[in-house]
Amino acid sequence: MTSIVIETENLTKIFGSKLIAVNNLSLKVEEGEILGFLGQNGAGKTTTIRLLLGLIKPTAGDVSVFGERMNSNSSNLRKRIGYLPTNPRFPPKMTPIQYLDFVGKLFYQSKDERMGKLSKLIRAVGLLPSASREIKGFSTGMITRLGLAAALMNDPDLLILDEPTSGLDPAGRKSTLELIQELGKEKTVFISSHILSEIDRICTHISVVDEGKSIFLGSMKDMKKRTQSNTLRLELEGNLNLVFENLRNKSGVTTIVKRGEIGLDMSYDSSLSMLEAVRIAIDATAKCGSELISISSSTSSVEDAFLDILKEEESRGFLRAV
Amino acid sequence: MLADMSTLFRSKLTFAWFIAAIFLELVRVLGSGSAGTTSSVVSAGLSDFVLIWSLIMIGMTASAVSSESGEFADSVMSKSVTRFDYLFAKFSSRIIYVLAMYGAISAVIVGLTLGIVKNDYQIYGLISSLLLVALALIVLTTMGVAFSTFSPNTIIAIVSLLVVWYAMMFFFPLVKLEFLSPANLITLLPGIIRGNWTTTLWNTIVGWTSISVACTGLSAIYFYLKDV
Repeated sequence: MTSIVIETENLTKIFGSKLIAVNNLSLKVEEGEILGFLGQNGAGKTTTIRLLLGLIKPTAGDVSVFGERMNSNSSNLRKRIGYLPTNPRFPPKMTPIQYLDFVGKLFYQSKDERMGKLSKLIRAVGLLPSASREIKGFSTGMITRLGLAAALMNDPDLLILDEPTSGLDPAGRKSTLELIQELGKEKTVFISSHILSEIDRICTHISVVDEGKSIFLGSMKDMKKRTQSNTLRLELEGNLNLVFENLRNKSGVTTIVKRGEIGLDMSYDSSLSMLEAVRIAIDATAKCGSELISISSSTSSVEDAFLDILKEEESRGFLRAV
Repeated sequence: MLADMSTLFRSKLTFAWFIAAIFLELVRVLGSGSAGTTSSVVSAGLSDFVLIWSLIMIGMTASAVSSESGEFADSVMSKSVTRFDYLFAKFSSRIIYVLAMYGAISAVIVGLTLGIVKNDYQIYGLISSLLLVALALIVLTTMGVAFSTFSPNTIIAIVSLLVVWYAMMFFFPLVKLEFLSPANLITLLPGIIRGNWTTTLWNTIVGWTSISVACTGLSAIYFYLKDV
């Protein structure tokens, strides 16, 4: 039976009687999950993370990590957590070696332990050539990688990453996500982001937060099922109009919509299985002398599911208070 | 604490302060000539800490916590560090730094003075004067770190501390609390060095110690309760 690593119950944070940043947030993260904490800018993601770490106190509700209540003096719990803040800042005159050594001291590690770990981590995050350079000259990508190394210095059981790809170029983003995915095999990961494609790519579970409240918590599969429908998305090279006309008259095909220069969305009724629908699409394409570039089930995207969840939440109106 | 102290001692400001202080004391001692006495020259040198070098100390101490508010504090406080550990490290590092600089510079002052000008000091008076000024600097340091804890803005912390420190000098005598005024200590220093100890100095010691303890205690409570 997997244990619960993070649990919040009706967690609320109100800043100065003016701003409700987190609003009765209840969520659970089990051991081994990679939870994507998804929400728009200003939804309360960073505030929630700071509550999880005990950096700020909740106005109401509870936070438990590893089964114990988190508060400002829970250093024993934070010993098992690795945290990467958004846009981490480091002492500019320190080098990565000096900074990671300093972090190791904060965890009361012996010199041997610190030196061994920091060498391994600096190499793992690709900062070996810059290990003795001052941090002040580092690029955003290098700062993020150093932050990740610092978050791993104590070999944590739980990794909390706040927008880890913020400011990174595509290559940097790809390598960071790959690293997180790899880490997720051994650790529980809590990753906050407003970038849907990242969450889609690496997370096993997702919590959607809107205006400080969790409006969805479940697996990625459950989330995508919400918008599953009988539609195929085709991309073709050739005579799009001919294929369009051909498919329109097929039995079982309910609607066919053009998308741009090369795309068609073909919806079919439940009398057809997906396999049959795919066969019809392929046959029609071949008959019209066109070439099929790609074919996919169009509704398995996190973006559609996310927007659907937001719309559903808004439509609940006063029922949101229940 | 060690990382903090390392940063402080390695800073260019520390080096500049040390050089400037030594140069000033050298000029003072050599300029005093045959008219100078130990009590006058040493008290003038020690007064510089209260009136001049206190500006540097205010800058160093009032930025202790406020300069790190934000991501850096998050990076430290999210580790296996309690609030008490963090604040204790700030207080300790600043006090040790100030006392180390004071010790080094005052050693030069006393060393130069004893060798050059006419001696009119009592050894216990000299030591008492050095310790009293050290206590004044500890008060300043604890107030600085406390103000830095209360205010997230370094500029506000520095300005507030400047106002309070100089208000203590000029306002306390007006309300019959002159024994708490650093300016009062400066006027008494030559006498203390010559061996004239007054009972009001015990009130000064108790009062300043209370201020330091109160600043430390209040800032610890506030820091524990506040959101980082």
